[in-house]
Amino acid sequence: MFVGDYMTRHPLTVTPDTSIVEVQGIMAENNIRHVPVVEKGKRLVGLVTRQNLRISPIELSSLNVWEITRLLSGLKVKDVMVRGKDVITATPDTPIEEAARILVTHRIGCLPVLEEGIVVGIITESDLLTQLTNLLGLQVPGWRATIRVPDRAGEFAKITAAVASRGWGIDAAGSLPTPRKPGYWDVVIKISAATRDELVAVLQQIEGQELIDIRATGP
Amino acid sequence: MQTRFHPLPPILKVENLSISYATRYGEVEAVRQVSFEVNRATTLGLVGESGCGKTTVAFGILDFLGPNGRIVEGSIKFQGRELVGRSEKELRILRGDQITMVYQDPMQALNPSLTIGEQLAEVLIVHRNIPHAEAWRRSIEMLERVYMPDAPNVMKRYPHQLSGGQQQRVVIAMALLNNPALLIMDEPTTALDVTVEAAVLDLIAELKRDFDTGIIYITHNLGVVARICDQVAVMYAGELVERAPVKELFAHPLHPYTQGLMRCVPKLGITKEESRLYPIRGRVPAPQDRPWGACIFAPRCDYATERCRNERPMLREIALGHSARCFYAGEIDPSAWQPSKEIDLPVVEPRAASGYGTVLEIENLKTYYEQPSRSVLSLFGLGKKQHVKAVDGVSLRVPRGITVGVVGESGCGKSTLAKTIIGLESPTAGVLEFLGFDISMPVTRRDVKLIQELQMVFQNPDSTMNPAYTVGQQIARPLQRFKTVPPHQVYDEVIRLLHAVRLDPSYYDRFPSQLSGGEKQRVGIARAFASRPELVLCDEPVSALDVSVQAAVLNLLLDIQRRYGTTMLFIAHDLSVVRFFSDFVAVMYLGHIVEFGSAEAIYAPPYHPYTEALLSAVPIPDPCATQKRIRLEGNVPSALNPPSGCVFHTRCPRRNLLLDQGKVCEVETPPQRYNTEQHYILCHIPLEELRKMEPVITTL
Ligand SMILES: Nc1ncnc2c1ncn2[C@@H]1O[C@H](COP(=O)(O)OP(=O)(O)OP(=O)(O)O)[C@@H](O)[C@H]1O
Ligand code: SF4
Ligand code: SF4
Ligand SMILES: [Mg+2]
Repeated sequence: MFVGDYMTRHPLTVTPDTSIVEVQGIMAENNIRHVPVVEKGKRLVGLVTRQNLRISPIELSSLNVWEITRLLSGLKVKDVMVRGKDVITATPDTPIEEAARILVTHRIGCLPVLEEGIVVGIITESDLLTQLTNLLGLQVPGWRATIRVPDRAGEFAKITAAVASRGWGIDAAGSLPTPRKPGYWDVVIKISAATRDELVAVLQQIEGQELIDIRATGP
Repeated sequence: MQTRFHPLPPILKVENLSISYATRYGEVEAVRQVSFEVNRATTLGLVGESGCGKTTVAFGILDFLGPNGRIVEGSIKFQGRELVGRSEKELRILRGDQITMVYQDPMQALNPSLTIGEQLAEVLIVHRNIPHAEAWRRSIEMLERVYMPDAPNVMKRYPHQLSGGQQQRVVIAMALLNNPALLIMDEPTTALDVTVEAAVLDLIAELKRDFDTGIIYITHNLGVVARICDQVAVMYAGELVERAPVKELFAHPLHPYTQGLMRCVPKLGITKEESRLYPIRGRVPAPQDRPWGACIFAPRCDYATERCRNERPMLREIALGHSARCFYAGEIDPSAWQPSKEIDLPVVEPRAASGYGTVLEIENLKTYYEQPSRSVLSLFGLGKKQHVKAVDGVSLRVPRGITVGVVGESGCGKSTLAKTIIGLESPTAGVLEFLGFDISMPVTRRDVKLIQELQMVFQNPDSTMNPAYTVGQQIARPLQRFKTVPPHQVYDEVIRLLHAVRLDPSYYDRFPSQLSGGEKQRVGIARAFASRPELVLCDEPVSALDVSVQAAVLNLLLDIQRRYGTTMLFIAHDLSVVRFFSDFVAVMYLGHIVEFGSAEAIYAPPYHPYTEALLSAVPIPDPCATQKRIRLEGNVPSALNPPSGCVFHTRCPRRNLLLDQGKVCEVETPPQRYNTEQHYILCHIPLEELRKMEPVITTL
């Protein structure tokens, strides 16, 4: 689970001399919010985001339509972009949770992915959220069961053993400390091979654990 | 499972693109209002007959149109940015190195005077400022990525020291070093053997996935389309007439042209007795002859109405993601189609069980080419002479009126066999009898009567036609030479032959330069059949032709063969065509016939391991068919030093079925085992074992 596996390769890019009007068009038409700025050989020199392109409301109120148009048409990417070293980036071998942490701490929406200074991809918050859903198997039709287990070794193994004993496979799994209930973890597993009743029967039997939710998911 | 919630922007978006060339007819439109999109990690197939504008579209995207070509209207958005109307300098920046083109001929992209390593590393050094040592290392890695055997060594070689398939891999590796967003491939495997083609196609599919590259794949081969494309755009006479996901296109072709194309190609496993090929009548009109206010396909369309001749249909979406440019798309039911009276279909009679009489008898035939040895001793006439064993012990009996197909990769000796029979090469040893007469002497010493009875149709009709003679004169020559008819009847006979190959008398006075490829091949056929020969050798007679022309020429050959009761030896690399056309098939490998049997027998187990590999490589025009995946390593070894024991042992994927990983195959010549009286296989593996194998191709 590394950035290289989940990034979008061949991101749309612009050059420092691209006009702002064109960048706005590209963003709107392709429904994207971040565009890396590159020079020859796809070397990163900056980043434009929708925020960079926004004119502040105060400024806006003081201008008439013609002035706004003129202001915009003269502007180039290099005038508004986040510059070179200030752009926070990742590499293909950054783990995805690390990428998520960077996005959260810096309150930013995307990371250009670089290999020796060359842009090879981009990873955005929505890419990471997509992977979260994949991680929990949302896209596979089947049952999503939440089981509350005590915080001690061997609890997860009980679940896998119980499931494996019936010859089913676990399509996806994840666990987090139970909110507001110290000493417990909530385990979410995704299983598609069983019927609901079969699954409930098996999971309820596990000693010391509590099946707190089961629901169908899928596209 | 990877799913995305919001679609990514397309890599390339072409809208309403029209391209014209300035010619002596004025400015003519070669491409008209073409629209399509290419997405990441998807292959868009661009198919259509020759001259339909496929390459022109590619050149339009790359701005390679040359001094007389220009984009008339439309938009090409690459990575979100408009390319049309930009200056050359701007284009260079916009495209960066992100669009790469791979051509049919790999040498177009390689510099013959630089080593492979220099050329690959340069891409990184010049375009990416990567230091030399690092560039070299990455180049080797990329060569290994495209499965180049012995990559570090290949870096030091020159392009001409590699085989065609290896050269194409180098070109693909070079393209990938740039990590392009868009790869345009124009018939990249057309010049390759099926086995090599299969490996290159696998590679392309894999790279698309691993590098998320968008690919435009230009081809006329529907089998290749079915194998590697996700989306297909069908072009006809400069217009895009249908666009759909690949399975959808093959399952429900909507446009009459697409439907017609599919009726032109033999499905693998279909014989001439079970089914017909239906050529599309007429031909693609030249750009200056294309109507504007009408459906461009109307002159060739079986469904054309008044409306079609007076109004131009627009590309409309008929089903989700499936569009066609036809007024009646969706209403036409291709299964209810009947051939129009304008196309002639051959009558095929079931073949006589084993023919009557033998026309050609070959026994243990060997044709060796002497190779000057490079050792010093040879200067004194002492060195051992080396021989290329092109044909090495072939036995074959061809009964009258029967067609025997010969298949195998290039370098297997197919053409040498044909040349030896026709007398262009002299056999080194063995028996070669035609109609009971010995013909082991060169053609110049053969009796004129025998020459008359033994004719040939070549792959490239150009090479055998004198450009200074008219069509009539070309066909008249054999008639005069062999005195087939009295001199005063020669003209009438030529007209009759022209008629037989469906050319009207006006062709009598045309020169070869005024003929299309298909027409030239018809003249070649008329000439071969002029002397009413007993046996006609066809060496790849249709491989240079478009599918619809190919269907017409194959039908023609079938028809003439039936009328004259001619016996045929049919050499081709396309197994579907061979199976369709032949009664018996000989599979050749390195100068040997490794399997021989009726056409049906060859396509079902038991197979010779080589036949099995060939069948698994051939692209079949059905995206839902499943094919066993057997890929042969490397190339056909040199016939100068053929492997010991079984000649196939260096590449055989089935040896491991034998004891000791098939040690015996390296030392002992395999036995000829008869499955039936008319079907034999040359292999150490017992027939019972071979019979147990799964069929290579299963269709749903
Ligand atoms: N430089 C040129 N000048 C004039 N006409 C041209 C030029 N190049 C191509 N054409 C014409 O434009 C039309 C489309 O040609 P194009 O080469 O794009 O076809 P294609 O579909 O790639 O065919 P093929 O399958 O034979 O490669 C043809 O009629 C061709 O003769
Ligand atoms: S519009 Fe008419 S002529 Fe054109 S393809 Fe459809 S039916 Fe045939
Ligand atoms: S004899 Fe051995 S090497 Fe030759 S085809 Fe049979 S198994 Fe393969
Ligand atoms: Mg072309």
